[in-house]
Amino acid sequence: MSWVRDPLPWLGAAILVTVLLAAVLGPLSGYDVVADADPGRVFAAPSAAHWLGTDHLGRDVAWRLVIATGPLVGPGLLACGVGAALAIPLGTASGVLGGPVATAIRFAFTVVEGLPRFVLVLLVLAIYGHDGLILALVAGVAYAPTLGEAIHERLEGLRQADFILANRAHGVPETQLVLVHLLWGACRRLIARHLLGLFAFFLVLETTLSYLEFGVQQPWPSWGNMLAFDLDYADATPAALLAPALAIWLVLAATTWVRRGLSDRGHDA
Amino acid sequence: MPDAVQLQDLVIRVGERVLVDHVDLSLAASELVGLVGSSGSGKSLTAKSMLGLVDLEPGVVEGELRITVGAVEHRPYASCRGAGRRARDRAFHAVRGGLVGYLPQDPRDALDPLARVGRQVGSVARLGGHGPDPLPWLGRANLPQPERVARLYPHELSGGMAQRVVIAQALARGSRFLLADEPTSALDPTVQAAILRELRRLVDEDGLGVLLITHDLRVLPGLADRLVILAAGRVVERTTPEALRDGDVHSEAAVALVEATRAVAAGVLG
Repeated sequence: MSWVRDPLPWLGAAILVTVLLAAVLGPLSGYDVVADADPGRVFAAPSAAHWLGTDHLGRDVAWRLVIATGPLVGPGLLACGVGAALAIPLGTASGVLGGPVATAIRFAFTVVEGLPRFVLVLLVLAIYGHDGLILALVAGVAYAPTLGEAIHERLEGLRQADFILANRAHGVPETQLVLVHLLWGACRRLIARHLLGLFAFFLVLETTLSYLEFGVQQPWPSWGNMLAFDLDYADATPAALLAPALAIWLVLAATTWVRRGLSDRGHDA
Repeated sequence: MPDAVQLQDLVIRVGERVLVDHVDLSLAASELVGLVGSSGSGKSLTAKSMLGLVDLEPGVVEGELRITVGAVEHRPYASCRGAGRRARDRAFHAVRGGLVGYLPQDPRDALDPLARVGRQVGSVARLGGHGPDPLPWLGRANLPQPERVARLYPHELSGGMAQRVVIAQALARGSRFLLADEPTSALDPTVQAAILRELRRLVDEDGLGVLLITHDLRVLPGLADRLVILAAGRVVERTTPEALRDGDVHSEAAVALVEATRAVAAGVLG
């Protein structure tokens, strides 16, 4: 079994699914982020009632960790959707058609890729204020050239491949050739890998912004702003500080592990 | 008129250079024709032009191609409107696969490296108007254990198995003619012989017309019904393998080809 030989991709997938479930089920739990503050129990140690203890306002760290997946998963998936919606058609068109079409598309890619991503994000936030949707949009657009270029390169190498010629000789229609053999056959793992990369990029972006207090604002939790607040009280609540840090590391590591599991089979691996 | 592919007056030109120079070639059902020539003689281009697969930018392919099956005659180059690839794809739509199939040089490269064999044969079978089950076709191409082979990826096949998979695709697609472009040059001699026997069987039992493109004269006696020898883009000799073996050749290029083959057979240094 492949999961015995290399368990990390499966562990990574399990972690990502857990985060996804937390984001969906967390808001349904009835936990009230705003009301949950109790001056009588600040800096409580981990216990059965509060698994990871409480923070400087007496709020339950474990619950805040769960609720914080919300601003991560929804916009993160949206960023992936935006990146895919831009990069897949453009990368495919330039890889399959070549010529002046490819030159124009790849020029656009280099223009966007040339902008420093973080500065681009700060600029957009300065104009529009913080908003998860806008952040997702910017992250998707900023990352799209990387994916588009990867698809272009893969398809350009295959355009003259013998199996494409052979399939054309079988009379396989051109659209089927592109969709089935090129996009699905040769690019699906490549696309999945890059979308995981985009999700990781969004995670880092969102936590960084929240840490710097440009992102999710208190009392709403995000892993970034939890880290920033709890850093001031590190001696009193080590668990409250370690928990979000560990969560960030674990999810980033999970995306890397799953990406490794998605490496290409076949001789072009 | 019996089923046949006829290529008349084919000229392929890139700029000033003429790669294929007024070549006439015909292939009837139930015959195996050898198209022989050294590398660069234009034999692959000639074969690919029969499927509209020659992509030249800038370049010109001229000539007349008639493919007759039953009462229907296809003339893809005459019906091709415009010079672009889309126009050519449309004109050759009925020809590719359905009438004329293609066996490439390295069969493993002819298969999508990231899809299982069964799915690839199945999808071609659907194009041929059959169900998606690949097993009968793999069996007809004499692949042992078709169930196991169907689950493999192309890189897990040996060269001979891969060539049989490609033959299975041609059978599934229902091709009446096969263009085999040096189908055995990537295989060792024992497997080579088995694949060539397989091609002969397709001609004798299934009534296919096979054009075997090769630079190796040694494989042709007993296999090909007749030969067309190309040199520098021209037809220099039309003969039979037996006549060739007996030294009954006239053109200089054909003589050189026969002598080179003898030298290889005798051991180059011997």
